Amino acid sequence: MASAKGPKKGPKYSDRSAQAAALLAEQQKLESRRRMTAIGGVVAVLALIVGLTWWSISRDSSGEVAQQVPAGATSDFGVVVGDAGATPNIVIYEDFQCPICRDLESVIGEPLRQALDAGNAQAEFRVVSFLDRASENEFSSRAANAAAAVNDAAGPDAFKQFHDLVFANQPEEGTAGPDDEQLIEWAVEAGATEADVRGPIEEQVFGQWVVNATDAMSKNDVTGTPTVFIDGELVEGDIQAIAEAVLAAIE
Amino acid sequence: MWFGLLARLITGGVWIVAGGLKLLDPAASVRAVRAYQLLPEAIVPAVGYALPAVEVAVGLLLILGLFTRAAAIASAILFALFIVGIISVWVRGISIDCGCFGGGGAKEDAIKDYPWEIARDLGLMALSGWLAWMPRTALAVDNLLSKPHHTSEEMLHGQR
Repeated sequence: MASAKGPKKGPKYSDRSAQAAALLAEQQKLESRRRMTAIGGVVAVLALIVGLTWWSISRDSSGEVAQQVPAGATSDFGVVVGDAGATPNIVIYEDFQCPICRDLESVIGEPLRQALDAGNAQAEFRVVSFLDRASENEFSSRAANAAAAVNDAAGPDAFKQFHDLVFANQPEEGTAGPDDEQLIEWAVEAGATEADVRGPIEEQVFGQWVVNATDAMSKNDVTGTPTVFIDGELVEGDIQAIAEAVLAAIE
Repeated sequence: MWFGLLARLITGGVWIVAGGLKLLDPAASVRAVRAYQLLPEAIVPAVGYALPAVEVAVGLLLILGLFTRAAAIASAILFALFIVGIISVWVRGISIDCGCFGGGGAKEDAIKDYPWEIARDLGLMALSGWLAWMPRTALAVDNLLSKPHHTSEEMLHGQR
């Protein structure tokens, strides 16, 4: 449209050319308005995207370092149960709200506890929390924090007890899970002193540590729960194959 | 025109919900991007943060009917990328939650959901393609932007 025949180029007196010039001017005006709209729109959309991205980044706490780390936790955000030198070495990633983890635990939970007690295995439980969206009251992260609190206050054996209690009583997905009082009760049942765990459970003092644990799982390319490693080897297959592999390893 | 409006509202609504849920849990969005194991770690966080924002922007434009053609093309491209992503994890046997509507990419037994997720995205991509082809729809802001020139001013000049 940037024609040399602009409307300002010399006055024309014939009706037709005046009309043509007016039309051209009109077209140019329309064209420039369209261009301004397009440019303004692109700028506005980019500003919206940048703004939303910035807002999203500001909400992400996964990069922050936990101020409170439970005693004895591994650098991979795990809790080691059993004798440190024992074999096999079993690593389990779990979320307390994950139904398939519960299914696995219902099979391996008791035999594994016996093997750990007898010094015939060691297990590192890496409890993560990404299933708060499947709970009406953030059971996943509250239970994970509580498990860390039990470990911190009463050690790995109490942790394992608490862990088994939580899985045995796992709430349905999409419902409200047990409240903090119930978690404290289980913590005491598992061997912790109420005074030691009440505060940490109610105030979620290990909340950031659980967030970091979940991020670490992702960075280890573990994409789902339960994920099990036996002596460093990823156990492939469905839930039954995993259960059988664990039982075979600790037999 | 009216079918176009419906297509706009469906695809735009899906983008706003999908992007909005991811914006609310950015850490999960980053994990979801990482779980596909397609991008180098250096750019995973950037994609995890920015992609939901782009989704919301595309959704808003479609709902408003503003720059419909450009938004529809962007929408179709995004759906195509997601379909490729899901197929690629399926082929590699990686079990993840697609993270389509938020969520951290981690899930048990997600592979059985892949065919349904691909079918859904294909449908939405088809609607986006339709809008890219026929961007003039009912009740669109685009109509307000172009209308005045075709009516009052042209009539004033008695042209066309």
